[in-house]
Formats: sequence, C-alpha cells, structure tokens
Amino acid sequence: MTTHLLVATTLDEALAAMANGARPIAGGTDLVVGARVGKAPLPTELVAIDRLDELDIVGMVPGGSDDPTPLLFVGAMVSHATIMNHPLLAASYSGLADASALVGSPSTRNVGTIGGNVMNASPAMDTGAPLLAMGAMAVLQSVSGSRTVPLAELWTGPGTTSAGPDELCVAILIPRRMGEEGSAYVRLEYRRAMEIAVVGAGAAVTLNDDGTVAKAAVALTAVGPTILALTGLEELLIGTPLDDLSLSAVAMLASEQASPISDLRASDKYRRHTVGVMAKRALEAAGRRAAGETIAIPVNRAEGIGAARNAAAQNGAAK
Amino acid sequence: MSNQETSKSVFLNVNGVSYPVTIDGGRNLLSVLRGEIGLTGTKEGCDDCECGACMVLVDGQPVNSCSYLAAQTQGREITTIEGVAPSPEEMDPLQTNILEAGGVQCGFCTPGMILSARALLERTPHPSEEEVRIGLSGNLCRCTGYARIVEAVQRTAAGAKTATGDTGQ
Amino acid sequence: MTTTEIPRFVRADGPDKVTGSGRYTADLTLTGMLAAKFKYSGISHGRITRLDVTAAREMAGVLAVLTDADVPDVHYDPQIKDRTLFARDIVRFEGEIVAAVAALTPEIAEAAVAAIIVEYEELTPILDPEAAMDKSSPLVHEDWESYEAGSWLVRSGNTASFSSLERGDVDAGLAEADQIISSRYVADGSHAAPIEPRAVVAQWEGNKVTIWTSTQVPFDARAGVCETLQLPTNRVRVIVPHLGGGFGGKCGFHFEAHVAALARTAGRPVRLVFSREEEFTIPDRRREGIVVELTTGVRKDGSITARKANVVIDCGAYIADTAFFPQLAAMHAVGPYLVPNLMVESQIVYTNHQPSGSVRAPTAPQVCWALESHIDEVAKAINMDPVKFRLKNAVDTGMVGPLGQTYEEIGLRRCIQQATEAAGYGQELPENEAIGVAIGWWPSFASASGSYVKLDDDGAGQIITGAQECGTGAVMTLRQLAADELGMKPEDFEIIYQDTATGPYDMGATGSQTLLNNGRAVVEASQQIAEQLRELAADRLEAAPADIVLADGKAQVAGSPESAVPLSKLAAIAGSGKLLLGHGSGSPPVAPPIVGANCVGDQGMASWVGPQFSCHAVRLRLDPETGVTRVISVHADHDSGTIINPMGAHGQVEGAIIMGIGQALTEGTRYDETGKQMNTSLLEYKLQTAADSPSIHTQFVEVFTENAGPHGAKGLAEAPNIATAAAVANGLAKLIGSPMRQLPMTAERVWDTISEGGS
Ligand SMILES: Cc1cc2nc3c(=O)[nH]c(=O)nc-3n(C[C@H](O)[C@H](O)[C@H](O)COP(=O)(O)OP(=O)(O)OC[C@H]3O[C@@H](n4cnc5c(N)ncnc54)[C@H](O)[C@@H]3O)c2cc1C
Repeated sequence: MTTHLLVATTLDEALAAMANGARPIAGGTDLVVGARVGKAPLPTELVAIDRLDELDIVGMVPGGSDDPTPLLFVGAMVSHATIMNHPLLAASYSGLADASALVGSPSTRNVGTIGGNVMNASPAMDTGAPLLAMGAMAVLQSVSGSRTVPLAELWTGPGTTSAGPDELCVAILIPRRMGEEGSAYVRLEYRRAMEIAVVGAGAAVTLNDDGTVAKAAVALTAVGPTILALTGLEELLIGTPLDDLSLSAVAMLASEQASPISDLRASDKYRRHTVGVMAKRALEAAGRRAAGETIAIPVNRAEGIGAARNAAAQNGAAK
Repeated sequence: MSNQETSKSVFLNVNGVSYPVTIDGGRNLLSVLRGEIGLTGTKEGCDDCECGACMVLVDGQPVNSCSYLAAQTQGREITTIEGVAPSPEEMDPLQTNILEAGGVQCGFCTPGMILSARALLERTPHPSEEEVRIGLSGNLCRCTGYARIVEAVQRTAAGAKTATGDTGQ
Repeated sequence: MTTTEIPRFVRADGPDKVTGSGRYTADLTLTGMLAAKFKYSGISHGRITRLDVTAAREMAGVLAVLTDADVPDVHYDPQIKDRTLFARDIVRFEGEIVAAVAALTPEIAEAAVAAIIVEYEELTPILDPEAAMDKSSPLVHEDWESYEAGSWLVRSGNTASFSSLERGDVDAGLAEADQIISSRYVADGSHAAPIEPRAVVAQWEGNKVTIWTSTQVPFDARAGVCETLQLPTNRVRVIVPHLGGGFGGKCGFHFEAHVAALARTAGRPVRLVFSREEEFTIPDRRREGIVVELTTGVRKDGSITARKANVVIDCGAYIADTAFFPQLAAMHAVGPYLVPNLMVESQIVYTNHQPSGSVRAPTAPQVCWALESHIDEVAKAINMDPVKFRLKNAVDTGMVGPLGQTYEEIGLRRCIQQATEAAGYGQELPENEAIGVAIGWWPSFASASGSYVKLDDDGAGQIITGAQECGTGAVMTLRQLAADELGMKPEDFEIIYQDTATGPYDMGATGSQTLLNNGRAVVEASQQIAEQLRELAADRLEAAPADIVLADGKAQVAGSPESAVPLSKLAAIAGSGKLLLGHGSGSPPVAPPIVGANCVGDQGMASWVGPQFSCHAVRLRLDPETGVTRVISVHADHDSGTIINPMGAHGQVEGAIIMGIGQALTEGTRYDETGKQMNTSLLEYKLQTAADSPSIHTQFVEVFTENAGPHGAKGLAEAPNIATAAAVANGLAKLIGSPMRQLPMTAERVWDTISEGGS
C-alpha cells in the first residue's frame, strides 16, 4: 500500500484535492493510529491541512440574519492544547476546555485538533458532548460552496457523518452569549491520563437571578452510536434550583435515555449507571460556573471525578 | 504498486541537520528516523501512541513520532534525544538530573521522557508536581514508579531558576 | 565489612541511556539483514489438518520459511518437555508458532505469512483450570505421560504439577477454633509489560551463531538454542544489548532458536521485532491467574489454630518455568504467620490460555492479595484490629516458621510497626478514605554465579561478569562491591556483561538474584586481586601483607598513612609480571532444614535462604458512586537485609509499588469465550501513568543476614511487588464493608460489590 500525501498550503488547494478524492489529515492521531493498529489502512490519497493557518484561529464572528448574536469561531485546525489554554475558552466555554484538557496526553493534545475530533465522529469523543450541549455547528466547505450544519445533524453513527467526502470542516461555531452561561464536561476514567471516555457528560446552564435554571442542556458521551442529547430536561429543571433532588432526577433521566453497549471498557449496566452520575456532576459544575464560581479546567482533575480531589494536595496532606 | 509514483524526496530537519530522504507519503516519522536517517535513540514501544517511547519534538512541541507522518514535518525543526545534549562532552541539565535523581533504570522510556519534560519546561518553566505528572503522563515507565523522574524535572526547573547556572550537576 | 558510602549512584550505563546512544536489540542492523515474522495459530485449540507454505516460499524476496518439519525433532522446556519450536499436529493457544518467515522487508515477510495456508479441525478450548482438574475433562496434552519431566514432579492429566504442605493436624486445629472463616478469591492473569517489546537478531559465521536478544537470562536462552537446534554451547554466543525492562516477562528461552534457524536457512542475518500486541499474546510469560480458597481457624484471643487452603493456578498451554509455582503459591497461602496446623494443596493446571511464566515474584502478589484479604476478614470476625492481629501472629526473630524453618534475625514486626506508624494508621481520615495494610514475604534465590575482575596496567578496573542488567541497577552495583574490596571508586570500573562468550555463568536477571549471587562472586574475585596488591605493596613498603590497607586508591601500611603507594603503580608492576586477575563464583548459601513438615511434590520452596519481609500501608480514596479508586500514598517497609545501594533499592520499591497498584486496580488480562486475549494494547491494558502514581515512602529495616548475599544483603527486586495489591484490597474492604473477591479490583467490580451490598 502506498499513500500520496499533498501538504496543502492554501485552503483552495486542499479543497481541490478533496474534490479529487483526497482525504484530509490534520494531526493524524485518529487516522494514522487507526492505520497502525489495523482499523483501516491509510487512504491512498491524503491532503495535509495542518499548514492552513486560517483554520487555526479562535475568535468571535457576527451572527447570521435570523440571530444576530455573535458566534464563537473555532477553526478546525485548532488543537486541544490551544483550546484548554485559551483564556476566552477556559472562562466562557469551559465545557469545551474541560474536554480538550482530558484528551490523551500532552502530545495528543498538541497534535490532535477539534476538527479531527468532530469529524472522526467517535461516540467516545470528548469535545462532542459539551459542543452539542452548547448547540454548536460545523462549517463545511467544498469547491462548490459552504454550509453550516448543527452537530446533531452532522453525526450519523459511529465514525460516520453527513458531510460529503469532498467537504472539509473549516470551523466549529458556538452560538453562545458570553458570561451568562456555565458549561462543564466530565468523564469517567480509570486512569487520570491516557484514557478514552468510558462514559461522559457535557452540560450548559443559564441561571435566573434567583439561582433557578433558565436554560439547560446535557449531552452524553459513549452511551450510543453518536453523542446523545438528553431530552425532556426542561420539564425537570426550568425554574428549579440545581439541588440534590433535581440533579438525581437528571441522573435518572440520563441513565434511562442512554443506550450503551458492553465492551472491554465497561458493561452496559455500569455505563448506564455511571453516565447518570456524570450527567449530574457535569450539570452541577456547569451550574456553579453559571453562578460565577471558578472551577479549574478540567473539572475532572479539579473536582476529582472518580478521583482524589487533587493528587498534589492529597500527597501533601498524607505526608 | 510502483513506489516511484508516490515516494517523494523531501528534506527533514533533524537536530539542526537537513536530511534528504525518499519516502512514501504514508511513512511515519519514527520509522524514517530509525530506518532512513539512522537515529535509533527514539524508541518504539507500542503501535498507538500509548507508551511515549517514540516522543520527539516538532517545532518544540511533543509529538508521538510513531503515528505522525514524516512528510508532514517538512520545513519544521525535529528534535530527537540525540539532539538534546549541547555537545558530545556536555549533557543537558535534564539528562544529568534524571541520572543523578535515579530516574533511569532500563532506559527505554528515558529518551521520550526527557523530550516530554523539555517541552513541559519550555511551556511551564516552574511546574508544580501535579503539572509535571500531567506533563509526563503520555510516557509510560514500568521501572521507576515515576517519583525520581518527577524529581529530576523539578530539580531541573529549580536549577534553571538560579542565575549562577547551578543546575544541580 | 562496611560498604562504600556513596551519596549518589550514577549508573555506568547512564550516559548511554540518557543520550540515546545506547543500543537495544531492535536498534541493531547488520549488512544483508532480513526481517522475520511468525505465523501464529490464532485459535486456542485445534488440530492442524493442512499446512502449506509453498506459496509463501515462492514469493519474491522471501528467503526462508520454516515449520516443524525443518527443525530437529526436539521437545523442550526446563521442567517438563512439553513443547516444540513449531506447532506439531495440535495448537494449544492462540500464539502458537506454526511457521516462521524471513524476507527482505517486514512487509514482504508479512505478506508471506498471510500466504501460508493452515487449516484446523477446531477443538473445544479448555479454559477453566478448576474444571480442567476433573478426571472427565478433555486433556490439553493427550501425551502428557510420555513427556520427559523432573522426577520430583507430581503430575496427573491436566494437573501439570501438584504440591502440598502439611504440618500438625489441621482438623484438630480447626476443632480448637472459636471461629472458622472460609473465603474464595480469584485473581485474573496479568502481564509484565516491559516498555521494550522483545527483539532477536541472529547471524551465522560458519558453524557458529551469534544471537543478540532482549532476554533477561542469556545463559538460559543459550541453553534453549543448544537444546532445540542441537548445538554445543561453545558455538552459540548470546549477547544482550541494553535491555528495556523485563520484570520476568523476558525470562526463559523464547524465540532465539527460531530466528537462528531462519538465519541459517536464509544464509543471512535475521531480525525479529515484536509488536506490542505480540508482546502481550505470544511469550510464555503471562502472570498466572489463580483461584485461592482459604479456611482459617482462630481463637477469640486472636491466635490462629489452623489453615486449610487450596490453590489452583492457570498454567496455560505449556509449563515454561512454572513447575515450582504450586509450592511457592502454597507458601503464600500460609504466609509469614505462626500457623501450628496446616494443610495446603496447590496445583498448576494446563489450559488453552497463553502459557504462564515467572513474572516479578510469581504467584505471590495474587496469593498474598487473597491471604491478606482473608486475614482482614479473620480479624474482623473476632473484632480485632487487623494490624494488631498481624503483630500477634507474624513470625519473628528466633521463631519457628509455619513450615518449621527457624529464623535468624528478621525484621517483619518492625516493618509492620514502622509502616503503619509512618502512614498514620488509626488516625481520623476524610470521608471515603481508608488505610489498608498487608504483609508479604519472599525467598532469596541462591544459585551458582561467576565473575572475573581485572586491573589493567594503568590501574583501571574491569568486571567481566555473566550477570544480566535489566534496569534494576544490580549489575551496576557490582562496581561498588569491587571498589569496596580494593579501596577504589565505583567509577574506576567498567563492566563487561550480558555476553555468554565472555562472562562465566549466571542465572540472569531473575529471582532477584544478581547482587545476591554475582555480588558474592565479584567480592571473591576482587579479594584475590586485593591479596595480590597487598603482597606487591608489602614488598615496596617493607611491611607484612596483612598490615597493608587498600583505601583511597592507595595501598598503605595500617596506622602510618604516609607510607603508601598508589594502586596504579602496583598495577604497572603487575602489568609486566603476574597480572591482576581475579575470578570468583561465591558459594551459594544453603537453605536451612525444615522440621516437622510434610511436603508432597516438594519443589524446594518450603525453606528459604535469606527470607525477605515487607509491610505496605496504602492510603486510598474511593468514589463510591463509580467505584473508581485512587491511591493517595503508600508507606512501605522492607527487610531485604543490608542495603548495598540505597538509591537503587528505593527505585526497586517505588517501581514495584506502582506495578502493584496497576495489578490492584487496572491491569488484568481479559479473554473472549474462546480463550483469546482481548486487551492487547496499552490503551486497554492500563499501566499506571505518572499522573496516577501516589507518593511513596520507603524505609528499610536493615537486618544483617549471615547466610545470604554480600555484606548480609538479601534479594530485593521482587519483594516490593507483593503486598501492594493486598493493602489496596484491605483499604477498599474497609470502605465497602466487605472484601473484593476478584483481582484486579476494577472500578466496575468495586461498584458491583458496593451495589450488591457486599458479597
Ligand atoms: C493516545 C491517544 C489518546 C486519545 N485520547 C482521546 C481522548 O481522550 N478523547 C478524545 O476525544 N479523543 C482522543 N483521541 C483521539 C484523537 O486524538 C482526537 O479525536 C483528535 O482530536 C483527532 O484530531 P486529529 O487532528 O489528530 O485528527 P486526524 O486523525 O487527522 O483526523 C481524524 C478524522 O477526521 C478527518 N478530518 C480531520 N480534520 C478534518 C477536517 N477539518 N474536515 C473534515 N475531516 C477532517 C480525517 O480525515 C479523519 O477521518 C486519542 C488519540 C490517541 C492516539
């Protein structure tokens, strides 16, 4: 098997290559690793998009005609390392930063991109749940034009999307007003690093002045063929405080709606239970952030989700 | 079938030396470093970026060379373990400290560990213990239990702080 | 005798390892070198009905394809000759080698492997060792009776080796008890998982072969090659370049003969390098799965009246080096406790799993985990604090152990006291935290071992030894021993090692034996040179040889340091006369007798030279909603005798504890219903990372042991791997309210146990 790799220097060059059947490669942490472990051989035609600096940008862009609210633009080549360390994202799109901060190891985060994560469409991807909870969209571009697709419509199954083979994801857009919403992502992990989510949950919450919930969304990781948006939250949460009662109700809802499989990492039964725990914890952290509390990125390590609260502090305490 | 069609001549810049190599677009950087360029200090311990023995720096950032396409590194600066010491007579403080702290046993993870540590210190010159542990979390070590490696990185950070250049050697 | 005080230990192999210039086997390239690949059975049990390598042999770029038909008709394995290099008729596990290929590139070799046609009549895999013991079970080895085997072995059907330990009257003991507690524990298999996957390079010159290989035991590897390819030892040279860890996984004879045979047929050097998946599935060195059933009788005052136990070990398809495991496991089912009446039956049973083999303290972490969990159950049943219970029942100096061995000075009780005190055992802890405590023991393995030492005419030293460095620093520490004897600095010596053609025999980096045995050899060899130096100095300084002291690189007259001569000068004199050459083989210490015990299938493990003891106190935190456990700190106290190299010793304990935490929580082999391993990557077989590893606080209880290694040292590398998982289990049991019955204690299993409200 031989592979031809074009290192694109302009977006047009990349789109043209894709129109001719080339597959994009960003960091390669899914694509090359997948080939090495024998999941799928490397495609014979590849176009590297890692030199397209215009895809490595984070910033606000104006909203569309129907909703003029500005949108956050995260270029597809933005790495997980950039996301977790970006002050704006850490402060106001914390759920996404939580997710990126958990991906693999420092090198995976350095090389792996948000575009690759979203387009790889694994149901265990970490950025998926917070992005879905925040109502994010993907901007897809090809030689024949560009379109914006809500993520809920992008993912069609494990590893499959509704994007055409010639469509490059150039950015993720997040419709969100800064400062009023709190978001968080947590996952169940057996180790504190180098993990794939056993299950996970992302949440985004807006609170009323009295601390009750004005708006809430929760999405679940690794409990179905794609990232799963929780439905029926409004009835449970709108106008109620995020207390033990409402959080347990959300946990139950998440466990009910999950349709997990059994595999090496966990049984369906355990996943069904723990995804409820994760949903509850994500929502609770998002609510605290919405109320103005600072919780360090990622919540997993700050709060010790399934973990000692803070290894360093604990070590100190134990001495 | 024909290699001629897809193999390309590219230049890879490794430890400040430019190497011409003719490679298929699908070749990973590790196999080119070890097989074509002849630098075997970078190790292969797994197939899927899980062990970190293959860690190199590309433009100063850590990369698992086993799963990174060599051709993607054209024009970039690759640093392998062979490029860490300032000269054949002198070691980098990280190298000295990891030895003196007792952070080397079988040594197979050591090159990758040193490169991850270097990238960490570049980004975070004075890391907390937790930051060191997260910074090295992509490098598995089966021998040492990590404590002495973590200590070596912290010693190096502390040494770099002192203006006298006392790096604990 | 004092040991050199060195504040730091800088390894002789350190600069090679931190600069990337050190070569490991897979780094070697020879002119004309070919790549080797194996064709594996891929099924756990089957009869070969067709094997056709014609297409593979005809492929361009393929220079050798070998099967059973192409090598001498030899059955091997050290204790039961149950194995051939290539599958013959029956395949007994998924990693059985059916054929081997050498080709110009790894890609061509892989294509050739794919072109080999093998057809099987699939047989039902035998996977449950307990069921396999049944007389009615189908056999893994139909011809087991015809295999040549050690006369001391008790074998029957699938039971490859049986052993029992008996002392006193167990039924009478149980009858005396106020309470009788019975429990059953199941430990899954696991892996050594060194970071370097193994590699072998072989090259023939004439009728001699040189093999570079990542083995822990070069002399065993050589013996295996000689046996299977029918060669005398002097025509086979095994060299180990730097070795990237072993932990037992690289003990034994593995693939050296396959590669040598390929190289001979191809007429070219051949290199084999394993993938991580092969490293997990192919070698016969999996840490064995074990089922342990324990019954203990105890009085209200906390004294143990009797122990009954049954241990069933999953052997896998071939015996490898495991025939002595049953008695070793039985010793761990007794533990370092005063048990007046006992009856332990223990067996290792063939199955169609990957073969088991010595991984760091074989059988001990698993059986210790079972026993120590059980001990906490026993203490709880009589409302006694588990640490107090251990202090009451643990063996101590001068006492007669459970198998009738009388102990010289030992430090077990001090280990228990110090570790628990340092860990703050008994203090108030935050919610969901607990401290679990466990103790362990382990023998020192005495063996023949040799070394040469020489000083050249400039006074620079060389140690030429058969010993093997696997990373522990044991070989590196030999410099310290030689330096001590000769009044020199460790840095004054270079070491020539892990080459069967230059060094005398050594057992290898196995059984924590390097310093213990080769250390004595180096001391003996150094003493011969010291004697020569004293005589040379005596001549020049006009003193009696007995009055000459070697110190600080000089020979001086005792009491008058001004009367001295540099060793380099003496070396120069010797250089033109009688050369400074020493050779030693130490004399292996003999294990003390056992008194009053009865051992069927005695495997020499019931009495121990230089017994080592340990206590681990593990503080952990449990997330009860998910079952995820994090270890916060470990306090470890060890009696491994005199500590020769403190930095190396701490490194052994720290590494072993992290490995133990992995075994406790995240490392366990998973099989599908046909007996094939499912978690064969480092993503699914989870070693602990730097981010998971807790703080470790080690103290050595240094007890001088006459009948052991140099300066009263015992072994060390395996012992610290034993008690950690058990201590984790006991911490968890406190939080859950009942013991965990299966190892590893994964988050899901913990959660299951919590959900069931205990078991
Ligand atoms: C050791 C390790 C640990 C990991 N841990 C995690 C983890 O914890 N959480 C997690 O979510 N993931 C994890 N991953 C997976 C992976 O790192 C992430 O999914 C990463 O974000 C992928 O990005 P990439 O740039 O490397 O993608 P690539 O491998 O380059 O691409 C992935 C796929 O997306 C396509 N693609 C890439 N970019 C685009 C684009 N702009 N438009 C259209 N298609 C595109 C490619 O063709 C390919 O099919 C891990 C991977 C490894 C090796």
